[in-house]
Amino acid sequence: MWVMLQTLNDEVPKYRDQISSPGLTVFPKPVTALEYSFSVSKRESYEGYIEDLKKFLKPYTAEAQKNLRNCQDGALFEQKGPVYEACQFPLALLEACSGESDPEFGYSKGHPCILVKMNRIIGLKPQGKPAIECTGNSKGENTTTLPVYPSEGNIDLKYFPYYGKKLHASYLQPLVAVQFNYTASSTPKEVTVECKIVGSKNLKNYDDRDKFLGRVAFKITMRA
Amino acid sequence: MGQKTPQIYSVELNGAKDMKQTDKGDDKDKYRGLWSTCLELRKNHHKEHVTKEIDLGLSSTQAAELLARDGPNALSPPQETPEIIKFLKQMVGGFSILLWVGAILCWIAYGIQFSNDKSSSLDNVYLGTVLALVVILTGIFAYYQEAKSTNIMASFSKMIPQQALVIRDSEKKIIPAEQLVVGDIVEIKGGDQIPADIRLLFAQGCKVDNSSLTGESEPQPRSCEFTHDNPLETKNIGFYSTTCLEGTATGMVINTGDRTIIGHIASLASGVGNEKTPIATEIEHFVHIVAGVAISIGVLFFIIAVSMKYRVLDSIIFLIGIIVANVPEGLLATVTVTLSLTAKRMAKKNCLVKNLEAVETLGSTSIICSDKTGTLTQNRMTVAHLWFDNQIFMADTSEDHFKQTFDQSSGTWASLSKIITLCNRAEFRPGQERVPIMKRVVVGDASETALLKFSEVVLGDVMEIRKRNHKVAEIPFNSTNKFQLSIHKTDDPTDKRFLMVMKGAPEKILEKCSTIMVNGQEQPLDQSTAEAFYTAYMELGGLGERVLGFCHLYLSADEFPETYSFDVDAMNFPMSNLCFVGLLSMIDPPRSTVPDAITKCRSAGIKVIMVTGDHPITAKAIAKSVGIISANSETVEDIAKRLNIAVEQVNKQDAKAVVVTGMELKDMSEDQLDEVLTSYPEIVFARTSPQQKLIIVEGCQRQDAVVAVTGDGVNDSPALKKADIGIAMGIAGSDAAKNAADMVLLDDNFASIVTGVEEGRLIFDNLKKTIAYTLTKNIAELCPFLIYIIVGVPLPLGTITILFIDLGTDIVPSIALAYEKAESDIMNRKPRHKKKDRLVNKPLAVYSYLHIGLMQSLGAFLVYFTVYAQEGFRPSTLINLRVEWEKDFVNNLEDSYGQEWTRYQRKYLEWTGYTAFFIGIMIQQIADLIIRKTRKNSIFQQGLFRNKVIWVGIASQIIIALILSYGLGSITALNFTMLRPQYWFVAVPHAFLIWVYDEVRKLFIRLYPGSWWDKNMYY
Repeated sequence: MWVMLQTLNDEVPKYRDQISSPGLTVFPKPVTALEYSFSVSKRESYEGYIEDLKKFLKPYTAEAQKNLRNCQDGALFEQKGPVYEACQFPLALLEACSGESDPEFGYSKGHPCILVKMNRIIGLKPQGKPAIECTGNSKGENTTTLPVYPSEGNIDLKYFPYYGKKLHASYLQPLVAVQFNYTASSTPKEVTVECKIVGSKNLKNYDDRDKFLGRVAFKITMRA
Repeated sequence: MGQKTPQIYSVELNGAKDMKQTDKGDDKDKYRGLWSTCLELRKNHHKEHVTKEIDLGLSSTQAAELLARDGPNALSPPQETPEIIKFLKQMVGGFSILLWVGAILCWIAYGIQFSNDKSSSLDNVYLGTVLALVVILTGIFAYYQEAKSTNIMASFSKMIPQQALVIRDSEKKIIPAEQLVVGDIVEIKGGDQIPADIRLLFAQGCKVDNSSLTGESEPQPRSCEFTHDNPLETKNIGFYSTTCLEGTATGMVINTGDRTIIGHIASLASGVGNEKTPIATEIEHFVHIVAGVAISIGVLFFIIAVSMKYRVLDSIIFLIGIIVANVPEGLLATVTVTLSLTAKRMAKKNCLVKNLEAVETLGSTSIICSDKTGTLTQNRMTVAHLWFDNQIFMADTSEDHFKQTFDQSSGTWASLSKIITLCNRAEFRPGQERVPIMKRVVVGDASETALLKFSEVVLGDVMEIRKRNHKVAEIPFNSTNKFQLSIHKTDDPTDKRFLMVMKGAPEKILEKCSTIMVNGQEQPLDQSTAEAFYTAYMELGGLGERVLGFCHLYLSADEFPETYSFDVDAMNFPMSNLCFVGLLSMIDPPRSTVPDAITKCRSAGIKVIMVTGDHPITAKAIAKSVGIISANSETVEDIAKRLNIAVEQVNKQDAKAVVVTGMELKDMSEDQLDEVLTSYPEIVFARTSPQQKLIIVEGCQRQDAVVAVTGDGVNDSPALKKADIGIAMGIAGSDAAKNAADMVLLDDNFASIVTGVEEGRLIFDNLKKTIAYTLTKNIAELCPFLIYIIVGVPLPLGTITILFIDLGTDIVPSIALAYEKAESDIMNRKPRHKKKDRLVNKPLAVYSYLHIGLMQSLGAFLVYFTVYAQEGFRPSTLINLRVEWEKDFVNNLEDSYGQEWTRYQRKYLEWTGYTAFFIGIMIQQIADLIIRKTRKNSIFQQGLFRNKVIWVGIASQIIIALILSYGLGSITALNFTMLRPQYWFVAVPHAFLIWVYDEVRKLFIRLYPGSWWDKNMYY
């Protein structure tokens, strides 16, 4: 056992074959399964989400990012070490969902923000121009594309590759925010949102068995 | 034997049930069926008008009516358990109940899940179904094996259907004996089996052999006179299934099928309970141990899980996992296969096993109660000794080498051989010229057959000699005369004298003689020669041999011219002043393989008791010659004779051997019999009836012995049933005996029993190895669950995967252990003690579970942790990860390196973990298989490659694992994934460690026998 542990690399696991393509996850963390349910008029019903988002975005404040590098856009940021730097991800990119202009992330106005991110995988180098695309589907209505920030849901290549928790401690993941632009009505509004990665050949967004590989689906129930 | 009365008969039957109760009124009550049959016989006797119908017989329509009323004339087979019951028994026996519980818990768990969440996964339903399938399939398999071995028997008992010559519609017809009905007129002749109970209407020189019914070995004459009130005694009744030895008879059927006397006795036998076989007890014991462990660990962890705040539903699922891990699903099937392999091997050695479990019973046998005739002996009279010229000569009695080496130059021998040849009515059946002499079929009684074969071997063509010496008159042997006489023309054309030859009981022959032939010369018979005769007679008689005297007389040509007409009734020829020529003694000699077999039994700690209906002297002589009574041991009577004191004065402790007669046995109490059985190592029961066998068997069983009993007669069947293993004779045995027995000895040879014992012992040892092998990995299967519950790591081994080990990779290897050769001479140790030497004992369980089992778990966990660590989850991260790991909506679980995993990615990794754990166990089971080849010797002493099947087993393990991992890797329902090749080798060092550890264990056992180590580490 000890011998086996000695053979392990501290920085990079030996194999990454079982996570060749990243999954998508959303924030705030829903309380049960993948459902968000709140009432616009009742702050306590969405306060948890806001807290969660604030907590999640803490490393993204200008203060926290001041030591990070301002990397060149549109290209992979490959490093040789021994010190590995992380690129800045200015919150401003999330525009209305950055929490800077609206500390309530749109929940109180009936336009809640959900953050979508790709799972971290060491050494992953996306090809093409990866972006996250989200569609919303409400009962009896057409499927619509939802607004995402940064524009077109772009994920910049400069945030890749990731070098692991130990070497790349200050690493910040790129985020995409999706905003819910339905108007709250008196009846509960139920929307199923599906987000998926597009624009990259080596990032899969469909798998028979894994419903979260390159995509994520969640439901928002909003009451007045 | 001839004096046996029916009262004894019934008392003994009664004694079989309860020795003290001899009240006859009670008998009548108990065996009312038997007695009413008798009454019916008597009534029939007075139906005089029937005789008229002899020529007519029944009409076909009458017969058909009666057949419809009474049913076929056949013994109804012993009541069989209905097939469906047998099948259901397999379904609920052993571990099946546990697995059913597991399956039902699975379905309940699903039910709960379903009621909470309609979309819950069907995993538990699949698992429950798989468990149920496992039970059903193993049940079907066991049932099939059982049925197959029963079928061997069924085919065996269906021999050539018996035919009967019957008069119907005033025509003689041959019909199957089954179709006989009461009132049918049947004809029988010498050699036929009597097809039903019949009352004789005509009889000519008819003799029957009732030995299968009453145990009397002497032929019984039959006539049409009513001589006794008791049907068993009266001379005019012939019994179903007995044989007509000679003569002819016509009789009317008075009882058929189960209503015959034999039918009644056969049904009595079914009243004697069948003992549970020792291996069944052992397996039950083993099942209890394993089930006990499974249930207690299961319940314990259920409680732990609940108190650790796991949901009850989860706890139930843990419980299922623990049960499945603990139960060796494939083991009972393996045991069945192993037993049937041995049964096949035994069948090749002439032991046909009816009941699979009896295979092992033979191995644990500590007392064999053996018949004499046919089992220990060759069952044919053979000339053993000759006495002439004042000298005893020995004849060769072995089965095939009939080399006679005695001095044949004397003139006396020439005369004696002539008498032997001529004064003999036996003849070879024609058309057997190519058959070896000893194997030819002879028409004639046992003694005459012996003499005929003897003279054929020594002199050549006997029939030709007889032809040359034309027979002119003859008086056959009868029990009042006790001699046989014939008068011949000589083959010397110049000698016109007649030769009269005579043989018979020696003292009767001597009475008629006035001279004796010595060295070819006639000498007057004086006192000293007469004494020499008596000494020789007593000596041969003392050997238990049947002695015959021979004499002759040349009738003078003057008095008896060529034309003289001899009248055997008037006896117009001299019957005194004959010339005594010699004595000849015969015995049914022991089979040549028997003495060796008895020696083997002795060194194997098995007591051989002879139980025979024969005379004590003959019995003792045979017992001595085969070694049942060893050369230097004496009976009380022997000591008394040697010391010249009264029998009562002899210190009984000095006597090692004892000969008990049936009469003595009848007067013994249970305690006295027990004392005889315990205090004498060498016992012969002589002149016993088959019923007394039951008493002897019960006596032996009171000593906690595992008793094997041989038998052939119908009356043996209660004893055969009562015995731990009843052994019926395949050749001489009656169907009833074969039905009651657990085993059939195809060649009737005692030596085959001993080879059977050897096989039985080997299988017990090998079953131990198989079970030890199988139990080991149960811990390796159980630990994942326990660690999962307590430490909270992702589940290392799935329930379905466990089934693939138990019913996949492990099956062939555990069967392969059945082919393992014995480690040392297993015939040199005592039979196992029924209650002390268990199949699964504490050392076996402890060593398998806690030593090898734990080592194996460690090895398998190593593979598991290696896989997880190299994929990103270090062992420290895994601890208490279970809850997050299993949450379906957590799709960004972080590993030790900061990578994030979706639920499915984790699941896939978990399956890879299952596969890794599985491979880890499999690799170490190879080592386990190798170490289980021996329990004491080093593997290198035993030879690593001697048992080729082991390597087939290892190959099967690897191939099945390869198929599961690489062939079925994409079938997710089975939870196997492609495993990197190097992971197959992670557990190899552990496998070697197991091997070394076990070699060290064995080394210490060999170095320090009897030490603490030996007692606790030797299983």
